[in-house]
Amino acid sequence: MIFYRPNNLKNLFELLENSNATNYFLAGGTDINLQTKNIPKNVNIFYISHLNVLRNITEINGHISIGSTATFSDILHSDYLAKHLPFFQNSLKFFASPIIQNLATIGGNIVNGSPTNDVSPLLLILDAKLELISKNNSRIIPFNSFYRGYKEFDLQKNELVKAILIPKNAENNLETFYQKVGARNSLTISKITVAGLKFIENNRIKKIKIAVGSVNEYPRRLVNLENYLITKRINEIKKDELTKIIAVEITPISDFRSDQNYRFVVCLNLIEKFLGINF
Amino acid sequence: MKIKFILNKNEVEIDANPMTRLIDVLREHFQLLGTKEGCGEGECGACTILLNDKPVASCIANLIHAENGVILTAEGIAKTKIGTLLIDCFDETNAVQCGFCFPGFLVSSYHYLKTDGEPNLEKIKIALSGNICRCTGYQKIFDSVLMACEKLDLS
Repeated sequence: MIFYRPNNLKNLFELLENSNATNYFLAGGTDINLQTKNIPKNVNIFYISHLNVLRNITEINGHISIGSTATFSDILHSDYLAKHLPFFQNSLKFFASPIIQNLATIGGNIVNGSPTNDVSPLLLILDAKLELISKNNSRIIPFNSFYRGYKEFDLQKNELVKAILIPKNAENNLETFYQKVGARNSLTISKITVAGLKFIENNRIKKIKIAVGSVNEYPRRLVNLENYLITKRINEIKKDELTKIIAVEITPISDFRSDQNYRFVVCLNLIEKFLGINF
Repeated sequence: MKIKFILNKNEVEIDANPMTRLIDVLREHFQLLGTKEGCGEGECGACTILLNDKPVASCIANLIHAENGVILTAEGIAKTKIGTLLIDCFDETNAVQCGFCFPGFLVSSYHYLKTDGEPNLEKIKIALSGNICRCTGYQKIFDSVLMACEKLDLS
């Protein structure tokens, strides 16, 4: 293992280019330190937490840009986010616990790629984008297309997530919902997470976005469900149709946290709760 | 790699692998055995320390994170006025059972008293939500911190 502490972004990309081992980025370390047994010995580690350019929370072209190494504490204490994205900020209050929030970074949560990660369902419904940078290139992609499979990403070799971009008005005039279910109230590790935004006028669904975590190989929007719900009146929604669509769109697994059936039923219950229906 | 930081108010320098877990630096290099290893995964809080005035799980942080920073461990906190007050309150309510989790609870409670200090049970529960007591004596721990908040308010 060789450890690098680049002086700036330019230096980081030069070092990356000259590296011929597997490269790891180290920010808060809260995930990487749990995986050290599985990390091969001949890796190069690039520390990035000290690069302030990756940590800012700012406004750019109608978007709020959150640097990838912003910690969850940075996010929770940002007055700017409290003003513009209060739902996003409040939803993350129960991310892990304070002693992890002070280290863990939003970019790390995304690229660790756990199907249970707390932040992705929120980014999906808020139409977030990712700003990716490499030595000579920079591109912006919809967050929706970032995950390709279990821990597979739209990320090139030596490419880095620079920032997360959320439209400034993403929450405006919408009813919001975020709930994760876990074993404890403290340090809740998600068994099922449902995030949603909706706009209902005259009892009819005019806007609807639903994303789920922990029930697929990566967090995703339930597009077929959204298509079924849009323009419907709440009282037109049928339990059997809803169940059938969700059964196709989510593929929960059984693991040490819960079994498949439990995850399916709770996911369905949370979606019904979000929609405000009681069959 | 040589890394400098301030540890319990003393300037220190250590030449070690920057990926070394902070808990190992504290316990093995500096013999500060108050910082305990419980789960080793950030979930139990027995290894809580203050890094740059914020409580963190030192078992999932690395030496590099301390670079040019400030660390306060349970030993350092025990020498402060608020630390002494907290220890007296833990003692008065008989909150300590086996004691293994207590350095961590002391650090998280100290941080709460320093940054907020309102005798508010819900806030205290959130501040201590990263710390687990397997003797399950939470009520007395919360009572102690409430007591410390009230005493600090009076002083």
